[in-house]
Amino acid sequence: MQNPYIPVPVEVAKIITEVDTKDIKTFRFAFLRKEDEAAFEYLPGQFAELSIFGKGESPIGIASSPTQPGYLEFTVQKAGVVTTALHEMEVGTVMGVRGPLGNSWPIDYLAGKNIVIVGGGFAFTTLRSLINYMLDERNRSRFGKITVIYGARTPGLLIYKDELAEWAKRDDLALHVTVDKGDETWKGREGFVPTVCKEVAPSSENAVTVICGPPIMIRFTLPVFFELGFSKENIITSLEMRMKCGIGKCGRCNVGEKYVCKDGPVFSLAELDKLTKEY
Amino acid sequence: MEKRVIRKETLAGIVGELAGKMRVCAPMKAEDEVLFRVLEAGEKPLIEFANAKNAPKNFLFPRTETLLKFTRTGKGMVFAGDQKDGGETLLFGVRPCDARSFTLLDMLFDQEKYRDPYYLDKREKATVVALGCVRPPYTTCFCTSVGGAPLSSEGVDILLTDLGEAYLAEFLTPKGEALREAFGGTPAGEAEEKQKETIATQAAEEIRSRIPAREIKPILDARFEDPFWNTLHQKCLACGTCTYLCPTCHCFDISDEVKRADGIRIRNWDSCMFPMFTKETLGHNPRPSQKERWRQRVMHKFRYYVDNFGAIACVGCGRCVMACPVNLDIRKVVADIAKL
Repeated sequence: MQNPYIPVPVEVAKIITEVDTKDIKTFRFAFLRKEDEAAFEYLPGQFAELSIFGKGESPIGIASSPTQPGYLEFTVQKAGVVTTALHEMEVGTVMGVRGPLGNSWPIDYLAGKNIVIVGGGFAFTTLRSLINYMLDERNRSRFGKITVIYGARTPGLLIYKDELAEWAKRDDLALHVTVDKGDETWKGREGFVPTVCKEVAPSSENAVTVICGPPIMIRFTLPVFFELGFSKENIITSLEMRMKCGIGKCGRCNVGEKYVCKDGPVFSLAELDKLTKEY
Repeated sequence: MEKRVIRKETLAGIVGELAGKMRVCAPMKAEDEVLFRVLEAGEKPLIEFANAKNAPKNFLFPRTETLLKFTRTGKGMVFAGDQKDGGETLLFGVRPCDARSFTLLDMLFDQEKYRDPYYLDKREKATVVALGCVRPPYTTCFCTSVGGAPLSSEGVDILLTDLGEAYLAEFLTPKGEALREAFGGTPAGEAEEKQKETIATQAAEEIRSRIPAREIKPILDARFEDPFWNTLHQKCLACGTCTYLCPTCHCFDISDEVKRADGIRIRNWDSCMFPMFTKETLGHNPRPSQKERWRQRVMHKFRYYVDNFGAIACVGCGRCVMACPVNLDIRKVVADIAKL
């Protein structure tokens, strides 16, 4: 019997410090065994348990795209025991990854539609996975217009800066990066994400929006999309809860009868409406 | 299915003898309580008892269990193997309510997508010998309200029914059949079967505690925000005793322990009654007070489990009713919900 509690060994291959405050880093992991890599079939929006023996596990969204073979990336904020240990790691350290877990962004549903990605702060990781997935030359034609609205509090808190610069050059993606408050070097847009969504005003025709960010951002962004005519079926988000097993057994991440780890983390607003409001 | 009659005075000896050949867990006297524990070879189990204070769930899903081991290397701690247990086990003297709890736990641990190898390995190697409740042991018993019965055979491999001078032994499954020789006895006839049926009817009637467990499902579906939840929890001490004694509660925590170069990852029973259960690293807690935790416990058992598996996650053993230090009685809670 396959044991879903056993992580596979990976090696820290690359560490990128993403933000000025240095508490958000992207970790690139290389699989130690080829067969583990082949078995780790995932889609954007899924997560994995980062497993540091002696410290524990932490469920983190996968930030790389399955179109980028050979490695996995996770962007992690230093917060608790496991993520602090992770932040202290060096390239070459061996640890574990357990997954992929959870459902994914609904790729088949998104295909053929215009996609509006809305991200706030560091909750941009699985959205980045989705963007890179859609931009891959094998996939780009499956999706319509792609609009990305991404914001952070300050320029120094934007993650994936190099990638943002690359995306800005493309003509098959409309990128709108904003910060709540700029600094002397910032030449881009200033303003809160909901405001920018209002200004950009993406059409709801044949469109789906995928939103991830702090609760306050989501609260003020949703009315904007309702006004633009997006139905609840076409507003999709991802939930976070405290988790342990990641496979719907340990009993702590349920919202109503659904387990965020197993039945989520991705839900449409229409699906969330049917659940209890306990997250 | 083979049915045999076993002389009463021989039963404890038979089980004691089996304890020399395999792991046998059975109810034993422990000071003034009855607790399930592993027997030594030849040790005779209790035959006459009400029910054990602890649920036999512990032998399939232990309070503490090693999931995997790891060891330190130059490149960090690395995986060093998982824990495999222990061989064939006989769970003797299980009450039918507790045996039913195994079938409820199976639903969770044996799902199509994720099978729990630790639980299932023990489950597959366990033979359940139930002692039917000819006289329902407690006034707090309410198995008949949640789909059970004093002589229910759900989750049972061998069902023993006290006929007065002897036991009727029903070997219900291949696992049970495999132990037929060991239990000996003589073939049962129609008279014994008739006697058992009469006992089953009488025993079910003797369970006077009845609760509208099924009836509250649509009410729970509609009343998540009901003011009822605002006061229900007020005397709860959040001790978690109800969930630790419950034969169907399955929530667990996973944590790591390290001693010098070696470590283990273990899982321990956890409880939805505890504040930390859902508290996130950055401080947010989706169930911030005992109100939400009590609501979760009731909803999980009488609504969510029904949604996910079509069964109520309660077997009516009454342990939580008897052990609650502030007399919060799930039977009354369910009855009150029915009136909403």
